[in-house]
Amino acid sequence: MKKIGVFVCHCGRNISATVNINKVVEEIKKYPGVVFCTDYQYMCSDPGQDLIKKNIKDKKLDGIVIAACSPSLHELTFRNTAEKAGLNPYLTEIANIREQCSWVHSDIKEATPKAISIIESIIEKAKLNESLSPVKVKVNPKALVIGGGIAGIQASLDIANSGHKVILIEKSPSIGGHMAQLSETFPTLDCSQCILTPKMVEVFQHENINLYVYSELEEISGSVGNFKIKIRRKASYVDNSKCTGCGVCSEKCPVSVDSEFDEGMGKRKAIYTPFPQAVPNKPVIDKENCTYFLKDGKCGVCQVVCTLNAIDFKQKDEIIEEEVGAVVVATGYELYPMKNMLEYGAGEYPDVINGLQFERLLSASGPTQGEIHRPSDNKIPKRIAFISCVGSRDPEHHLPYCSKICCMYMVKHALLYKEHVPDGEAIVFSIDIRTSGKDYEEFLTRAKEEGNILYIRGKPARIIKQGNDLVVWCINTLTGKQLRVKCDMVVLSMSMVPSSGALDLAKALRIHTNDFGFFTEAHPKLRPVESLVPGFYLAGTAQGPKDIPDTVSQASGAAAKVLTLFSSDEISHSPIIASVDEDLCSGCGICITTCPYDAREMDERKKIVSVNEILCEGCGACISACPSGASQQKNLTDIQIDNMISVLLRSNAKALEREC
Amino acid sequence: MKDKKNLTTEINPEIRDILIEMGAEDIYKCYQCGKCTSACPWFQVEIYDYPVFKFSLETALGAVASSEDKKELDKEIELIYRCVGCEACLEQCPHGISTPNILRAARRLLVDFDSYPETLKSIVQKTHNVGNPFGEHRENRADWAKGLNVPDFQQGIEYLYFPCCLPAYETRNQKVAQATVGILQKCEVSFGILGVKETCCGEVIRRIGAENIFEEVTKANIKEFKDSGVKKVLVTSPHCFTTFKNEYPDFGADFEVLHTTQYFSHLIDTGKLKLNKSFDKKVVYHDPCTLGRKNNIYEEPRNILKNIPGLEFLEVENFNRNLSLCCGAGSGGLWLEWEKDERIVNVRLKQLMDTGADIIAVACPYCLQMFEETLKSMDVDIIVMDISEIIFECL
Repeated sequence: MKKIGVFVCHCGRNISATVNINKVVEEIKKYPGVVFCTDYQYMCSDPGQDLIKKNIKDKKLDGIVIAACSPSLHELTFRNTAEKAGLNPYLTEIANIREQCSWVHSDIKEATPKAISIIESIIEKAKLNESLSPVKVKVNPKALVIGGGIAGIQASLDIANSGHKVILIEKSPSIGGHMAQLSETFPTLDCSQCILTPKMVEVFQHENINLYVYSELEEISGSVGNFKIKIRRKASYVDNSKCTGCGVCSEKCPVSVDSEFDEGMGKRKAIYTPFPQAVPNKPVIDKENCTYFLKDGKCGVCQVVCTLNAIDFKQKDEIIEEEVGAVVVATGYELYPMKNMLEYGAGEYPDVINGLQFERLLSASGPTQGEIHRPSDNKIPKRIAFISCVGSRDPEHHLPYCSKICCMYMVKHALLYKEHVPDGEAIVFSIDIRTSGKDYEEFLTRAKEEGNILYIRGKPARIIKQGNDLVVWCINTLTGKQLRVKCDMVVLSMSMVPSSGALDLAKALRIHTNDFGFFTEAHPKLRPVESLVPGFYLAGTAQGPKDIPDTVSQASGAAAKVLTLFSSDEISHSPIIASVDEDLCSGCGICITTCPYDAREMDERKKIVSVNEILCEGCGACISACPSGASQQKNLTDIQIDNMISVLLRSNAKALEREC
Repeated sequence: MKDKKNLTTEINPEIRDILIEMGAEDIYKCYQCGKCTSACPWFQVEIYDYPVFKFSLETALGAVASSEDKKELDKEIELIYRCVGCEACLEQCPHGISTPNILRAARRLLVDFDSYPETLKSIVQKTHNVGNPFGEHRENRADWAKGLNVPDFQQGIEYLYFPCCLPAYETRNQKVAQATVGILQKCEVSFGILGVKETCCGEVIRRIGAENIFEEVTKANIKEFKDSGVKKVLVTSPHCFTTFKNEYPDFGADFEVLHTTQYFSHLIDTGKLKLNKSFDKKVVYHDPCTLGRKNNIYEEPRNILKNIPGLEFLEVENFNRNLSLCCGAGSGGLWLEWEKDERIVNVRLKQLMDTGADIIAVACPYCLQMFEETLKSMDVDIIVMDISEIIFECL
């Protein structure tokens, strides 16, 4: 039989004001198995801890119960105390008589017997606890970064600059992401490409970064510290070792399709680099539109003009296997589709465009070389309406959340438009203008004053096409006036949504997303760059709408977390996890399907299931699912739980008779 | 000092709480985007400024239906009874705020105090007394069916056909009921009518705000249906449809409801209704608000029209399906007179005529009535027909 010691804490008056400590000690001393019981004002203080250590040694205790506050506060403290006195830390238990008792009661007569019951039940648990030691895992100090936008670029550079290897994968033919599409950035109006492209080149040239573009994550297994990954590098039909990026192939290619990079505002060829500053500067062949692939080998002009023989129509997708210790998810965003906005023409009116399309019209390297021409007839628009919150803040039909950046980029758009077309009129339809960032409100004020930008408070109900004009129907809710505003062009601030494919990725990585597909952080305030699953870190708009400064900060934060993980050779993992009693397991496999962490494997030879101690998070799902009781949580077995419940029920009955 | 107008308003929690109790529960959700106001049919009547966006906040202040000054109250009453209940505002509201419900709460309050338009008082009274808003004699209710050999509904008959008041009494609308009967007979559907025992569904009096009388009518109707053994009801009016389907169950009703367009579309799809004759006309379809926005029935009427041989189907550009414009007859609008240049129906008719159609197809007796009445004073060739009438011509 174990020798249990119980230490009751007063927590100043937090506990002792509503729990009769003397009575508790007196009763617990009588409890079977308890060889020692005492109390102290602050058990977590140095003298309190010394008291525990001394008695563990003197009384040769092999199990202790600390009756005090919640285990989430001081369990670790007291486990360390026990370890210092030579007791296995997992033989320490906490009876929570503060949050679960003294704080929620005011009557000492009721609180005292309840405290006694709580302690007695924890004593029962302590009696059957076993000595455990943490599971140790070696860490592979190499990171995978998924997504080559500004978030992925920043995270990769930060990790690589600290001397660790990084694999950066990007699904499109170039890194740069949406930031590469932007003309200028708010609130400083510096050129987006000017500040981004040096970073893109740095990534490309960095000796610690292994860049795979036109690639996606195919498969991932393992857990924090040791992931095995497979990357699918899509066939680009261009041999990059031969190609110099001269661009003759794209020039001669006869196929012209809408450019994704230009958001349909411009064209590209079937063999293309998305934009002149692309990194790497190597073209890819878009198989869906290439005549060679569509018409059985006809065409092949690119192959003919390439003097370096770099075109290889026989190229196949390639699977690359790698091992990493941590993963940064930086998969970014896309815009909510305009076709969902029936009242604004459902994406059918050529002169109703979204914010990114307008960026391309503004961009000096865009399809119009920075001249603003409207898509339908190339006319320079003399009046543009900018509409905010399109799809956002509309829980009834679209998305409930605020997209955060639209208010600011509308200010920028209106201002830049006025710079390009000084006699043009910029009208912004908005409801609440959110300028919560450094220098943002000042930027808005400046734009309104210097740019003569008209802000109208109201969400338009309709955009009606009348001949070549668009008429915006709205009400100014500040003046109450009805407005029918004739415009040459309308720019919709479509809300941000996670990249397509983010949900599939979340499933593959087994990390959580919210209702809208944004990756969920471990804690909304205190752990904003980690996912709930160890080893996965979040950066940028994949986690929620944000602007460039926030994205870069979060990316650096995620990198810092990765580096913290890489700072030691091994990490330890709680041993309070599931185990399988081989004699009881029938090999039914229910636990394998129940386990959310893939921590269960069928031993095909023995036909029983085993637990992967590294992957198991100790959630207990398998234990409740197991029909034979073979699955047990270490130090929280069915027998322990049964005993705890019986004691609670019995001592509750006893408490009714007890005079406290 | 006396004639100085009081410009400040005291928040009136008492009226606010009563209005919330009566159905204005959405008022706190509003973030004042004003989408409702430019979505409202009155926005399209360019001469009239209707401040839809103010109703939720003013109700939250207790400043709706609360004026003590007679003149001010009259102005308020006019505003409150302008709403045609088409739900174009609700269709676009980011927070799903039903302004028609907010205004209906105000109307209930006004009805309780007997401060509502005289014409509407009279239709509430008539519905209460003789079971229809026109004050027509109850014993004439089945006159439309004379000589058509329509059986009275009894146990064993599958469908109750419920034409409701306009098709029962009004000459132009009676043709719709007659055409419907013709189609049902041709397809050998087992159906009957309640005849003189039929009473108004009560939709309009509820929209007017006469909640107590609506409840009385509803309970009597439910009892009549139960006693007669009605399980399935076929209706011509979307207004009966929405009331039976969405509102009667709150009072214990338990029967299936089908709109004629749903049923006829089904009969066409299953080959039971054959459209043999060609109908060589250009036809534009007008979505009734109560069938469309309120009940999501957009495709069945279109399916019928597109299956008619020879018919060229047209849509009103920009204003079809959920973005359709009301005819102006809903929520009592049929009985209210507005200045000639501030009528919704004129705007809608122009949209419909601009399509170049020969025929306006409707699926609601209110729309039919509203369009017919208005077209009488206009020198145009366009004709209004209920979908049932078009089908009947093609049998």
